[in-house]
Amino acid sequence: MASRAAVKTVIMVAAVALAAATGLAGAGARAADADAVRRGEYLFNAAGCLGCHTDEKGGGKPLAGGRALATPFGTFYPPNITPDPEHGIGRWSDADFIRAFREGRAPDGSYLYPAFPYPSYTRMTDRDLLDLKAYLFSREPVAAANRPHDLSMPFSWRFLLAGWQWLYFDTRGPRPDDPAKPPEWNRGRYVVDALGHCGECHTPRTTFGGMEADRYLAGNPKGPNGDKVPNITPQPRFGIGGWTPGDITLLLETGLTPEGDVVGNAMAEVVRNSTSKLTADDRAAVAAYLQSLPPIGPPP
Amino acid sequence: MDSRVVNALAAGSVAAFLYLGFGGLGAAATDGDPAALVKQREQTMKSMGGGLQTIAKFVKGEAGSAADVQAAVAAITEASSKDPAVVFPQGTAIGTADSDAKPELWQNWPKAVEYWNGLKPATAKLTEAANAGDRAQIAQALQGVSKACANCHEDFRQKKQ
Ligand code: HEC
Ligand code: HEC
Ligand code: HEC
Repeated sequence: MASRAAVKTVIMVAAVALAAATGLAGAGARAADADAVRRGEYLFNAAGCLGCHTDEKGGGKPLAGGRALATPFGTFYPPNITPDPEHGIGRWSDADFIRAFREGRAPDGSYLYPAFPYPSYTRMTDRDLLDLKAYLFSREPVAAANRPHDLSMPFSWRFLLAGWQWLYFDTRGPRPDDPAKPPEWNRGRYVVDALGHCGECHTPRTTFGGMEADRYLAGNPKGPNGDKVPNITPQPRFGIGGWTPGDITLLLETGLTPEGDVVGNAMAEVVRNSTSKLTADDRAAVAAYLQSLPPIGPPP
Repeated sequence: MDSRVVNALAAGSVAAFLYLGFGGLGAAATDGDPAALVKQREQTMKSMGGGLQTIAKFVKGEAGSAADVQAAVAAITEASSKDPAVVFPQGTAIGTADSDAKPELWQNWPKAVEYWNGLKPATAKLTEAANAGDRAQIAQALQGVSKACANCHEDFRQKKQ
């Protein structure tokens, strides 16, 4: 029976070892999760998710669905993106999440409206998207049903978005770094294009809402809410060519312009929720990138 | 009565009358003329903006002394102590002279007053920081004041043309 006891001991030791191993693995996973959540929070702010998906001024619960977004095509009601399994995105897999941002498609394959700025977010890396998801899934679930968009025909037909995507959606995903440029420039481009989605407001649009690539960041006379959105290329007269890098970073931090004005309208929210929460290095990278762009004057 | 005295009195009262009359008209001109009221408001805003600009230069280490910052804070305090009803009189929305004030400002008047009054605590912090002369503290208080300005510009001012 000595062998029975020996077997028992071996089994017990093995079980303890296994428990310890899984326990450790669990702790390791939790630490990794906490890191992902922390990185995800930074990305969440940099990408300005809060404002659209929360009815901030109406006192809505965070991420439980946004205020009305009026556009020339009708009114969008940004959905609940809390981890609630019923009304939010709690059942989404990692692949579902990446696909929504990278391809503008819902888990059931239907097309998403580009009022959700995935044409910019498509450039986010997989790693950043998964960190962002980890952060969202760490938030409080809210059981609030989505309000359907109020769109005029034919814009209410989702399947037509296939044509829109084919025309306007650049599906290449994240851009590789340009090795000819310093790391600061590459980071600045990523913060401006992939995260901050500055072009969604600052680049003018074609009739059907595609971005005019050759007038990148050159100002949009018909921005969100009908606001005029200024030219932020380094054009000396019509853009911000006269601004120093310090002027740009101060604006991103506080909203203050070199003329002693304070930006309002949609940019006030961008500063409050996003650019004031960037690291000083990221703000400097944005300034360096903006100043490197080709200056563009008013349209002919 | 000496006729010269009478003449002098008459001349004096005419002068007083003229003075009061024109003075009254003058006051009426700024009280009632919407274009002048818009100008006045823009002046108030500019003096606050100029103050923030001075402080920003100091924070960035580009120019200015602690004394300049204190003077700038005083200018902002003075302008922001005005009665909101005087800064934003009825009838001075977009469409009047070069006003950029959205009509919603008057439709949501309590909110506008709340935003205006929000300048006070933010400016008080700035005064405190300026008196302490600590650059980091001034930078933080500057952000607080800009936020208070931005709240109102976000809702109630159209983009400057
Ligand atoms: C400019 C406003 C805006 C911003 C900024 C924005 N969204 Fe959205 N989002 C929308 C709208 C509108 C929709 C609905 C699109 C549709 O119905 O096709 C949407 C849809 C989504 C969906 C799909 C939800 C579903 O149930 O189908 C997810 C997930 C999402 N957004 C997450 C995010 C995250 C995370 C961020 C920040 C990185 C973000 N959004 C930033 C407006 C926005
Ligand atoms: C949701 C729309 C929106 C987004 C996104 C946005 N902006 Fe803006 N931006 C505006 C509007 C509107 C203004 C004009 C502000 C005003 O009315 O005072 C503005 C003003 C500015 C100005 C001041 C220009 C001047 O001449 O006064 C700068 C600089 C700027 N934005 C940079 C950026 C950068 C960098 C990003 C991306 C990180 C960005 N913006 C993202 C809408 C937006
Ligand atoms: C309660 C609302 C409100 C608050 C608070 C406010 N502003 Fe304004 N501001 C306005 C409105 C409305 C206009 C447009 C005025 C016009 O064109 O008649 C304006 C215009 C301006 C202008 C442009 C003036 C011009 O020449 O056309 C500057 C500069 C300015 N504000 C600076 C500031 C600063 C700095 C602060 C904070 C210290 C501030 N504002 C706080 C409402 C506000």
